[in-house]
Amino acid sequence: MRTDAELMALYQKGSRDAFEELFARHHRRVIHFCYRMTGDQARAEEAAQEVFLRIARAASTYQPTARFTTWMYTITRRTTLNFLRDEKEPGEKVPIDTTGEGYDATEGISLPGRGDWDPEQVAWEAQLKDKLLEALQKLPEVNRAAFVLNRGEGLSYEEVATVLGVTVQAVKSRIFRARETLLAELSGLVE
Amino acid sequence: MECREIREIISAYVDGEASPEEARRAEEHFGRCPECRAAEKRMRALGVAVVRAEGAVPSDFRENLFARMEKEDLLPKRRSIFAFSLRWAAIPLAAAAALALFVLSSRDVPRDLSSTAMRPPGVSGPAGELSPEDREIVAYLDILEDPDMLDETEIEEMEIFAPSPEQRG
Repeated sequence: MRTDAELMALYQKGSRDAFEELFARHHRRVIHFCYRMTGDQARAEEAAQEVFLRIARAASTYQPTARFTTWMYTITRRTTLNFLRDEKEPGEKVPIDTTGEGYDATEGISLPGRGDWDPEQVAWEAQLKDKLLEALQKLPEVNRAAFVLNRGEGLSYEEVATVLGVTVQAVKSRIFRARETLLAELSGLVE
Repeated sequence: MECREIREIISAYVDGEASPEEARRAEEHFGRCPECRAAEKRMRALGVAVVRAEGAVPSDFRENLFARMEKEDLLPKRRSIFAFSLRWAAIPLAAAAALALFVLSSRDVPRDLSSTAMRPPGVSGPAGELSPEDREIVAYLDILEDPDMLDETEIEEMEIFAPSPEQRG
């Protein structure tokens, strides 16, 4: 199987298949990251589309010495940051609405087995998800990004530090502060 | 060590990012502090909740993106199947054409039998007359023009006749 860096090199030479493979590998992660960062499905989709457009536009600047996912998340984080700044414009604020048409409330929740179906459990998990997304939006952006990149996307502290352009010690501190705030916000839900 | 001071280490411990020394200190602390042990469990549960908080992936997400990319000329167009087929068909077509040329040029040899030097070995008879073998070859010239005249058993019995260098002159 080709590495992401090899696929990028092929895309730089004009391979459509290479980009399609990169997209297939990473689009879900990008959408999930955008969703956790914006707390809004429509905004997440819009941001994720913009991320892949930016990746394509900037493909010629990609150096194989950088890990592709780190480069991709750097672009993704900057893109969501722009979207969040735009949201702050008067009248532009998009509320977190997870009940709209087309939204699948069960997305991302591991459903219980047939014999273990528990509506209360499902409702509780949906509530937890809503509250968590709300609580995430209250965090300073850099703390939220550090926590989501590490816990949501599985990046190491060192990789998070590269994406955010800070030291590993700063990442450790930001993730800790994010955790403390989130646990206080979700008191009674996360035990 | 005070709980307030060790909580940041516990956070890194939960993420698998604590140094061996920090991990040892955290584990020792858990043994004598149920509150920090409970905090560690809450931190882990929070991590699971974040993983589960996924966005939906719309079915038309890829289609919409690729349409935008093609509009901006960021995505190379996929080659048509027709062009692809022609390219690969060119190889067997060229081979068939070369074979046909070779066979036809070989058949030219017995047509000119005015010189005995051009006659295939073992073929006797006066110049200008065709031997039975020559007549058979001439008969096959019609088949080359219309291959449908052949049936499968005849194809299996056919031999390729190639003149020797002396015969070609």
